[in-house]
Amino acid sequence: MLKSSKMKTKKIIIEPVTRVEGHGKVTIKIDENGKVSNAYLHIVEFRGFEKFIQGHPYWEAPVLVQRLCGICPVSHHLAAAKAIDQLVGVDPENLSPTATKLRRLLHYGQVFQSHALHFFYLASPDLLFGINAPAEKRNIVAVAEANKELAKKGILMRKFGQEIIKALAGKKIHGIIATPGGVHKTFTKEERSYFLDGNQIPNIDTMIEWSQEIINFIKSYHAQNSDWINNFAAYPSNHLSLVNKENGAMELYDGRLRSINFAGNELLNIEDIEYKYHFKEAVEPWSFLKFPYMSKYGRKDGWSRVGPLARLNTCTFIPTPLAEKERIIFKQQSNNSVNNMTMHTHWARLIEMLHCAELMKELLLDDELLSDDLIREGIPRTKGIGIIEAPRGTLIHEYHTDNQGIITKCNLIVSTTHNNEAMNKAVKQVAEDILTDVPEITEPMLNQIEIAIRAYDPCLSCATHALGEMPLIVEIEDNHGNLIDQKVR
Amino acid sequence: MEILLTKKLDKTLIIGIGNNTRQDDGLGWCFLDALEKEGFNIDNLLYKYQLMVEDAETISYYDTVIFVDACKENLKNGFSFETLQLSLKLEFTTHSIPPSQLLGLCNNVYIKKPKAYVLKIEGFEWDYQINLSEKANQNLENALAKIKTLTSKSS
Repeated sequence: MLKSSKMKTKKIIIEPVTRVEGHGKVTIKIDENGKVSNAYLHIVEFRGFEKFIQGHPYWEAPVLVQRLCGICPVSHHLAAAKAIDQLVGVDPENLSPTATKLRRLLHYGQVFQSHALHFFYLASPDLLFGINAPAEKRNIVAVAEANKELAKKGILMRKFGQEIIKALAGKKIHGIIATPGGVHKTFTKEERSYFLDGNQIPNIDTMIEWSQEIINFIKSYHAQNSDWINNFAAYPSNHLSLVNKENGAMELYDGRLRSINFAGNELLNIEDIEYKYHFKEAVEPWSFLKFPYMSKYGRKDGWSRVGPLARLNTCTFIPTPLAEKERIIFKQQSNNSVNNMTMHTHWARLIEMLHCAELMKELLLDDELLSDDLIREGIPRTKGIGIIEAPRGTLIHEYHTDNQGIITKCNLIVSTTHNNEAMNKAVKQVAEDILTDVPEITEPMLNQIEIAIRAYDPCLSCATHALGEMPLIVEIEDNHGNLIDQKVR
Repeated sequence: MEILLTKKLDKTLIIGIGNNTRQDDGLGWCFLDALEKEGFNIDNLLYKYQLMVEDAETISYYDTVIFVDACKENLKNGFSFETLQLSLKLEFTTHSIPPSQLLGLCNNVYIKKPKAYVLKIEGFEWDYQINLSEKANQNLENALAKIKTLTSKSS
């Protein structure tokens, strides 16, 4: 719903923001001169997972925390598992090779399905129909009508990732594989054949082929819309992700934390478990979502983008051949420098899908996956930190226990939280570009605000550790805080 | 609107939706558990926390789909069994998709329109516990009796 106003000073509220995972609200303030004076993405959910997990035994954490989200429960399960491994004295490098590979396969299946879900169901309507398309057309049903094959592939790619999760964790959502120091089940030859022979579902080779097709789709889209996709909501920023400890390659499961600035200068390169000495979290009264930043660079300059675009920027290469070939083409778009073009995040996401498909094939062909060497033990500790690259970016879980193994403290910094400042900046920039001095504020204009947020694929449930329905609102306020216009879907 | 079922279920899929750790929200799953005990073909019983877009592909292989879910509405005898029409509207979140919209998506993408029914069972308690409330258990029994009627007519 969009109400018009004759007043000169305005506040715009977008609520709900659509096709994102979570419940949020955008407020845009417009001054007497018709200029955008400020814009905020408010995250209005609250859940408090960090608090209520206290008092539970440590081994419950990987099971409990995955209830943070129905989209990326595996990411929370694995980040918690990495931390809990340390509580039983097992560091990532000391896990059995089979356990590590099974967890990695699960993780790649998760990233693959999550990226497929986001691209096909949340982002593709904007790309296929354009930002000015009527609201009723911007959904997957319209995509299915316009391009059935694309929709079918989207469904089956998502399903492939979900089936990997089900095979390993027992079920597609909130399954369990990790146990302190390893995993509780191995992979069978029959389970492996299901993904390789193509008799019951399209096989892993088909996933690789389709991933390449979808990358070709976005390259073609870029060629036709380069001005918009290069410039929309683009701004310089820092980028943060895990990278391979030895060679700086793209790494989604275990590595060093690396951050670079907009020009490519390295800001941080640390062991992941040192994170707390390098990061702080700020709070604002208008959002439940915190604002993490690198303490050395301060609140203003120390925040980073995380997620697919950041990972493509921070890594030195991608260690699978087809995705690496695509990375090289991708890098050429920014003259082999850092890519700060927000909408290129979609492109980066698809390259990661291809990378995950290649990695899954590699693992599915590895006989070590079938071994029963599953669990390792060590000397118990009272602190564990697990960091992985979730689909949306760097995910940090930290747990402290007493001597009886009861959790006394928990800190979670999830991907969407890292992107909080970035999303707010994108909202403000787009608002300034499209809402300044316009005679009338239209629904497609407000959709552009959402498109900027959507590029980050925010999961607001994860970010605030919240539960519930998932809408988001845009409101227009005058400079006295009076509500003038509002859009509600 | 009457359908006939066999315990083999043939080309019929029964989807139980819910969460058995939230008391009566587990009615959909408990219903499937009860069907399994009655000898229904477990391969055609599907447990879901929520429906997702890829379930459009799953239901496209069946002639008939029955969605079973808990509800808060006050229902005669504690349950209702209704024909479901497809919807072309789509919700904005991918965390879940309602049955009618899943049917619409299936029709759009796979050009398949399985006959669909919704079995709603009234629940009362929704806390973090595993067991159904006493009244929900009674409603479950009533709903099960209804399904058995459909089966006996068939045989």
